[in-house]
Amino acid sequence: MEEDMWRQFYEKVKESESKKEKTEHDIRIQELDGGFFEKFGTLLKEQHAHQETGGMALVCEEEQPENVELELEVPEESGGVGMALQDSDSEPEESDKHEFITDAMGWNIEELYSEVLYEILHIVGCDASAEEERTPLFCYLQETFKLDHEKHNHLLEMARAKEAPNILLNVEIIEAKDLKPKDANGLSDPFCTLFLTSSVAHRYNTSVKQETLSPVWEEHFSLPVENPADDVLCVEVWDFDPAETVREKMMKIGAVKGVKGLRKLMKEIAVTASTGKHDNELVGSATLPLKNIPASGQTLWCSLEKKGKSKKQGDVKIRLSFSSEKNSHVASQEHRHLLRLMLLHELENSKVEPYQWDGKFSQSAEIILTQHLVQCGLSKVAVTLAKWIEFASVHVDHPLSFIIFSILLQKLVKPLQKGFVTEEEEKLFWEAAKKILPSCFNGIRKIRKLTHSDKSTLHQLSGILSILSQLSTLHPPEGTDLFPPSIYGWLTVNEDEPNCDIRATLYDAVTQGAEDWFSHILENNKTTDSPEEAYLNHLIQVTQLVRTDLQRAIEFHDKIFQQSFNFPYAKTLYKVYESKVAELVEPVVTEVCKSLKPLKFNHGAGDGIYDNDRLLMGTTLFELYLIVQRFAVLGTGLCPVDSEIFLSHNFHLWFHAGVAQWLDIALYKALQRIKKAVEIDHLVPVDSSVKYSSSAVDTLAIFYQIKIFWKQLAWPDVEGSYTFVAKIIDDICRCSVFYADQMSEKVEGMGESQNVYEKKFEVTNEWCLAINNIDYVRQSIQAFVGELGMEEIVTSLANFRSQTEADHCQRTLQLVIDNAVDTVGNKILELLEKVAEKMAPAINRFLLEGAELLQQENNCMDRLMKYLDDNLLTLHSHLNTDNFSRILAIIWENLSHTMYELVESNLERKRPPTFFLNLHETLKILVGFFKQGDEKNDTNNPAILEQMEHLLQLYGMETWELIHQYHLERREEQMAMEAATHGLLTVRMQFVEDLLRIEVLNARNLHPMDTNGSCDPYVKIHLLPEEKFTTITKPRTKTHKKTMFPLYDEYFTLHLTSEQQELENGLIMFTVKDQDFLGTNEFLGEAFVAFSDVPKTDMTTGLEQMAQVHLKLSRPTRQDSEVYRALESRHDKLARDFIKKEKPKFLPS
Amino acid sequence: MAAPNFQGRHMRQPSKNTLLKVVILGDGGVGKSCLMNRFVSNHFDEHSFHTIGVEFLNKDIEINGEVYTLQIWDTAGQERFKSLRTPFYRGSDICLLTYAVDDRTSFRNLALWRNEFLYYADVKEGMTFPFLVVGNKVDVSSEQREVSCEEARAWCMENGNPPHVETSAKDATNVEQAFSLAVESWAHLEAKLDRPYIGDTVDLRRQQPEQRSSCCLSVGGNTE
Ligand SMILES: Nc1nc2c(ncn2[C@@H]2O[C@H](COP(=O)(O)OP(=O)(O)OP(=O)(O)O)[C@@H](O)[C@H]2O)c(=O)[nH]1
Ligand SMILES: [Mg+2]
Repeated sequence: MEEDMWRQFYEKVKESESKKEKTEHDIRIQELDGGFFEKFGTLLKEQHAHQETGGMALVCEEEQPENVELELEVPEESGGVGMALQDSDSEPEESDKHEFITDAMGWNIEELYSEVLYEILHIVGCDASAEEERTPLFCYLQETFKLDHEKHNHLLEMARAKEAPNILLNVEIIEAKDLKPKDANGLSDPFCTLFLTSSVAHRYNTSVKQETLSPVWEEHFSLPVENPADDVLCVEVWDFDPAETVREKMMKIGAVKGVKGLRKLMKEIAVTASTGKHDNELVGSATLPLKNIPASGQTLWCSLEKKGKSKKQGDVKIRLSFSSEKNSHVASQEHRHLLRLMLLHELENSKVEPYQWDGKFSQSAEIILTQHLVQCGLSKVAVTLAKWIEFASVHVDHPLSFIIFSILLQKLVKPLQKGFVTEEEEKLFWEAAKKILPSCFNGIRKIRKLTHSDKSTLHQLSGILSILSQLSTLHPPEGTDLFPPSIYGWLTVNEDEPNCDIRATLYDAVTQGAEDWFSHILENNKTTDSPEEAYLNHLIQVTQLVRTDLQRAIEFHDKIFQQSFNFPYAKTLYKVYESKVAELVEPVVTEVCKSLKPLKFNHGAGDGIYDNDRLLMGTTLFELYLIVQRFAVLGTGLCPVDSEIFLSHNFHLWFHAGVAQWLDIALYKALQRIKKAVEIDHLVPVDSSVKYSSSAVDTLAIFYQIKIFWKQLAWPDVEGSYTFVAKIIDDICRCSVFYADQMSEKVEGMGESQNVYEKKFEVTNEWCLAINNIDYVRQSIQAFVGELGMEEIVTSLANFRSQTEADHCQRTLQLVIDNAVDTVGNKILELLEKVAEKMAPAINRFLLEGAELLQQENNCMDRLMKYLDDNLLTLHSHLNTDNFSRILAIIWENLSHTMYELVESNLERKRPPTFFLNLHETLKILVGFFKQGDEKNDTNNPAILEQMEHLLQLYGMETWELIHQYHLERREEQMAMEAATHGLLTVRMQFVEDLLRIEVLNARNLHPMDTNGSCDPYVKIHLLPEEKFTTITKPRTKTHKKTMFPLYDEYFTLHLTSEQQELENGLIMFTVKDQDFLGTNEFLGEAFVAFSDVPKTDMTTGLEQMAQVHLKLSRPTRQDSEVYRALESRHDKLARDFIKKEKPKFLPS
Repeated sequence: MAAPNFQGRHMRQPSKNTLLKVVILGDGGVGKSCLMNRFVSNHFDEHSFHTIGVEFLNKDIEINGEVYTLQIWDTAGQERFKSLRTPFYRGSDICLLTYAVDDRTSFRNLALWRNEFLYYADVKEGMTFPFLVVGNKVDVSSEQREVSCEEARAWCMENGNPPHVETSAKDATNVEQAFSLAVESWAHLEAKLDRPYIGDTVDLRRQQPEQRSSCCLSVGGNTE
């Protein structure tokens, strides 16, 4: 039943919640304290409660949708994916750019151009076989290579004229050593130029190597040879533009950023290369007649000479061979150069955003590239590798989509693992990888700047992770340092060792990213240290932001990390944040908790004795607790069985001392609200189906809020939980008692009226509602407590401690609950008594008035009955059955006391029997009135009622009846006697037809009062009540002289009418007396036998056959008995005579 | 709405009983729980557990014809429970400061307990609070005794002069008396406050605790 009630209540709350609008009533209660509980219960909904001024928080919303809070921060506006990713450390980029440019400088633009033109002219396959379809391809090429018309036409002519060469000289410029320095810094920026003396204009360049005297090129060239017998290969080593180092040149161009800058540089190089006008300085040259080269090929060191210098200028290492086809190295190199040129062109043309390029070239480019690879006979792997390398180079300056790389990598992994690539190719592969990796890790470190909900950025992320994951399955060649400290300054690993551990680096990147973010948050949420409360708010904000970040990581990123790289991203983040949060929050909380002082409000809640700062501080601390808890809960979810995560298991301990304060605050606020709720209660039922009013519902709502508070607290420590629950129950008890007191104060004075004649109290509906309200609250206690989760607490206590202790605690809790319920129950009884007390004067007055009229009999108790009737009707229709029967009992108790006093006082006034007879009737009516259908429940005051009835019965009797009553009681006394202290009388008796036959046999051990110690006893027989036997002469025995053991053996036969015989309470009284011939006969004792105890026989049975009956003789002792006193109080002759006769029988005490 | 069910739940006689909230404080292991159990259910458990947070029992006690209902909160003395027990001090009427006569430290800590209580109980300023100092375990042999009765009484004299009593929960010495004494002490102080009484409360002035001189039931204090 209580559950029902609770559920109903709960549903009501839910209902009102769903309406999402508060009644004026609610608001009025909340106004009181600025929606304290609403905040307490819903702190989390408002990230910054203090920012919300309206305070229109809802009563009890459970969870809020996550995305609400997600949008709340990201303190820095992010300008799209690209910008975020690009915002990386600039230093590594610079150096990459150097390489990119110097690399490009060595290209043999014209050679490549004419090569491609040639391929287009000799196009294979169906891609662009028609003559007119080649025109767009030429245009495209010209644009890509940035060549003017003249040049283009010239080269096109040459290409048309060109015939497939018979034989090719394949040259690899491997390296040089001991070069003479040319630059001011004692180094050079060397590159090689090679040509055949038969065709001096046809020069091939290697790339420029910066600031070195022993450059390594490992670059390939295929030179068409027409006359192998006569021709001579010439290799020249140059210092690149010694007047202006590459670095300086870079500075010049550096002002123009990105693709544009590169384009500019490219143009310059192209011009330089084609005109041969450059300010380079020759280091030295070597010549090799072709006829000296063995057909099988040769690798050799050539010394460099220079005109006018006798000394050697250095050595260059060259590999030479002949073949009829283009060397695959050369082809790959060409293809790479082509790729890069085209990619740059594509990027420029399509204005594609960073990170957006998806690997698709324009159609023309595709055709040209395909022609090139087909005609050079490049393998798929070689092509993919070329893309990987070139895209990586471009990526450094203009980032491309990570997806492309991950797709390329997918195709490369197997060949690399299986060793299908040359050592050189592998080296190039890893160099490219090194170019891609920084941007990958930057992406991860700057993950927070990505718009997390954007699909494409998540796509990019999974691209990055897929790259990392695939790379980590490969083994870079010995000595490779994937993560040089110069670029990865943030790495925590040993700087000296070459490092290729991608997973560890990822871990570092994630950790660093988290740490940076944390610092960022701290910086952007700076606060002054005081007042403390403001500082707590700062912590709340920080923790909230950190939690949000973690939440977002879980929601958007973690899965990708897990799937792509099996990397526990969120968990890693959590561990970083956990220690940061702990470091930040713990000391402050500990400090604050230490300084907490108990609230002062014992003496009158709501009188503002409390310290508002403490209240505020406590509330803020709670807010912080909640947010830390929510943060820790995420952690527990991430690492359910990880003992490393300290915070999740222990954070609550910091707040230990705060909980007491929060409970105090909750109690204080609850009391205040109850006060207010009572104040604004109009004491009308909340709706027609119930019998309680608004403040009862409000009070339950307040309890409910305490419950919400408790649920939110979710205190993890079970011993604490147990104790706090005990405290909450006790507080609920206090609240209920307080409510009861407030309620009874409110109704005090209601229902009282006064006119000239009388002051009167009538029970009003308000009184009934007040009682119902308290009862409603009382009944909710047990159910409420059930909602606090006691069972779980007891169960975990049993696990944590022992079953015995858990049982003990459970018992304690139950006692506390019972105590609460009882205490409030007593409050109800108090109020019921108050009502009864207020009714008492009127009841008494009416009763007395009625009694005065009693002798006139008819309906003198009308006024009383009407008063009772009216008021009890009100009570009955409003109170529940229990409370009604309770108040009925109380009124009845009061009434019976009054009645009793009335009887007593009238006894003193010696009213005639009729008075008491009428009073007895009144009593019977009242009893009937109060005990309607409620026999079982008349436990209240049975003694007083019995007593009263007894008195009224006695005093209402005729005197002879009273006398008989006296005798009947005397017989009772005789029966109860243990020893025959006054002797025994032996008789036989029988009823035969209309005869009563009595044989008096003897008496023994008589106790004479004479001083001489002897007596002359005789026995006299009376039939009682005497009024009924006036016709019969009382028989007596002879007197026996001087004996205490007289033997009579006398028979008496008495004729009785049948009425006499059947008399209900007929008695035979034997009186034994000592005959005194001088004065009155002395009484020795008497014995009584009830008619009903005398056997009835027929004529055939003689008296001598009857059993002898030994009657104990006795004397009256109870002069104080009601009957005797009643007789004494009578003034009629009969009574007076009786007393006169009876009095001497009592022994002097 | 169905009728509520009072049946089966014993209801105390209302209003006639004065409700008094009693808290028992003192170091862990001095026998607070044992005292309470002896008093409430006349039972002694040799191997009682340390109390977790708090325990609660209630009992009616009649003193000079007046029936009081004592709501007894027995607290956990161990330090780790400090912030769990302090919330229960608020609103107390009576406080038993308990030590064990065979444990000097527990006696020395009385002042700490007293201060902790006053700090958290929100006692009205300037009010003399009815403390009772209880030295438990008097059944121990004299060799084991570490705190003499005189010493304890001297401490009381210097600390607001609360009454002092020595008890044994084990053999039920003075346990009832201790609680009676506490209530009497409360009544005495209450009377001094000269609060107007509602209804037929007995005039408490007549019930001032008598001065007994026997040390075992040494009633110091409250002499003015
Ligand atoms: N000899 C003796 N031993 C006692 C007496 N009272 C309690 N003890 C023993 O002292 C030990 C501790 O008693 P408890 O009542 O649990 O102590 P406590 O003060 O409640 O301890 P906490 O709950 O930890 O604060 C138990 O082993 C009891 O048997 C006593 O009067 N005499
Ligand atoms: Mg204990």
